[in-house]
Amino acid sequence: MDSLIAAAARALVTGDPLGALKRVALREDPPALALRGIAMAQLGEHARARDLLRRAARGFGAHEERARARCVVAEAEVALAMRDLRGSPRTLAVAALTLEARADRANALHARLIGARRLLLLGHVDEAATALSSLDTQGAPPSLLAVAELAAAEVALRLLNTAVARAAFARAREAAEHARVPSLLAEVAEARAALDRPAARSIQAGQEKLLRLDEVEALHASGALVIDGCRRGLRVGSNWLPLARRPLLFALARALAEAWPGDVDRNLLITRAFSTRHLDETHRARLRVEIGRLRAIAAPLARIEASARGFALRPLGNHAVVVLLPPIEGDQASLLALLADGMAWSTSALALALGDSQRTVQRALVELEAEGRVRSIGLARSQRWLSPPLTGFTTNLLLPAALALA
Amino acid sequence: MNQSKAERIGKTPAAARVRAAEIVREYGPFAGIGAIHGVSHDGKRVWAATGSKLLAFDPESGRIARTLDRSGDAGTAFDGTHLYQIAEARIDKIDPATGDIVASIPAPGHGADSGMAWAEGSLWVGQYRERKIHQIDPETGAVLRTIESNRFVTGVTWVDGELWHGTWEGDASDIRRINPESGTVLERLEMPPGVGVSGMESDGAALFYCGGGPSGKVRAVRRPSGE
Repeated sequence: MDSLIAAAARALVTGDPLGALKRVALREDPPALALRGIAMAQLGEHARARDLLRRAARGFGAHEERARARCVVAEAEVALAMRDLRGSPRTLAVAALTLEARADRANALHARLIGARRLLLLGHVDEAATALSSLDTQGAPPSLLAVAELAAAEVALRLLNTAVARAAFARAREAAEHARVPSLLAEVAEARAALDRPAARSIQAGQEKLLRLDEVEALHASGALVIDGCRRGLRVGSNWLPLARRPLLFALARALAEAWPGDVDRNLLITRAFSTRHLDETHRARLRVEIGRLRAIAAPLARIEASARGFALRPLGNHAVVVLLPPIEGDQASLLALLADGMAWSTSALALALGDSQRTVQRALVELEAEGRVRSIGLARSQRWLSPPLTGFTTNLLLPAALALA
Repeated sequence: MNQSKAERIGKTPAAARVRAAEIVREYGPFAGIGAIHGVSHDGKRVWAATGSKLLAFDPESGRIARTLDRSGDAGTAFDGTHLYQIAEARIDKIDPATGDIVASIPAPGHGADSGMAWAEGSLWVGQYRERKIHQIDPETGAVLRTIESNRFVTGVTWVDGELWHGTWEGDASDIRRINPESGTVLERLEMPPGVGVSGMESDGAALFYCGGGPSGKVRAVRRPSGE
């Protein structure tokens, strides 16, 4: 390491990216390029930062693998901040292995965390959970611990495990306080607020109520038969019967559940499920067929009994029936509720689940995207929609001092 | 100079003796100090440049004896009276008693400088990635001559007429004695993998004090006692 590189690294650590740039602005050697890249990232010039970090990585010699790996990690973090997820996860994994082999555990952990957060952004919640659970955070810097806990909290929220999320948030806050990074603390507070916001509405025997996430979780644990209009399916405890691809059956189930413990008139069921007002015998025949299908699917959780005027839902055991709906009405609310699982949905899957046309859904998604309430990855046929991360991703956690060293 | 190319770029001849560096003692990391960039010895205490501070510690007790609020980003040297300290792209001449900067000259590498030693009325300044050592006039900063190495040069020191310098590239680091005329490597002490030398100075006797870069440590390494 040389004198201006050391001075620039010192400036970066103290949060003075302009001071760092001043010292190495005109230099093109790899350590200088790396420092310039990090300074640019801290100034929010992500595209420029990426370019500089790439050039730095290329410039380091074969005997400077650690420095090169650090550049790869920093570049991956900048890409994450740009929400550019096209990079190869393999490159990042190789960098992590390189750093581990050289006992640079903090930066290796940093690399693995970026990988896990990338999976979350791509909607691979289960894979992210697996990646996070295999991390070795022993003795890690508190800022990285905070990021790891935030990611764990996000996974727990997506999987509707509020107690785990709450505990992770508490650890994240402790670590962020320890790290004394104000933006991290703000991020934890912001993300944690998801626990206190209304997450759904419940309708039980005609009574409507707003529920927080933990109340939703408690409802699922209560043994009640939940007709879940947020994620589209039937649930008792951990027993989940998805109906996202069967909108008609879901509409029937919901109509039956809203009337519980009473029954529902056939004509009303036809109106609700087939969206028609002109009833004829063919509708009645179709209703019989569809009720038969729903009966078969719901069999593990409930029976559907015929009554004199229609049908009635009878949950197995002596449990209540509760309908769960997005906290507010409307197509947008339904879309957001579906995306709350953190998975990547195609437009066609969303349209199918909501029983709307792709056009309608696309329009709603575009509006939501403009408001920053959904985001998309991929283009054209491979385009997928996701809810934005509950936990943001700060970019001031790059590896400034460490990068300066060969 | 009419040297062969191999000699000029400091290529290790077969005769160069290689052995493992013997680390006698470790100092630090010191409280609140991140990295060690430069090391010197004033006959009694070891001086270390740590970024925003220059500190002197007693090699016997390891205790910090003195701290100067002077920035130091690379090599440190001592001419018997004054400390010389590379900070950014200049070399400050510092009165160790008061901490005052009495003069400043430009560093020969324009900020790409690493180690520094004082000997024979000259300053010897390593230029890290350029793999060079410049002999400069301590009054003006004028480059008198340049020795080339084949490794990234970190610390530089003179002892008993021998020129030694540290190298650090990636994971590999060593301390080597070179022919000051030709740059030919005469002897090498290899540091353990992952242990680097960021700055060094002889104590004038049997030890080298070596900065450990971001480890924040200073290590005492035994100087081989002749052939």
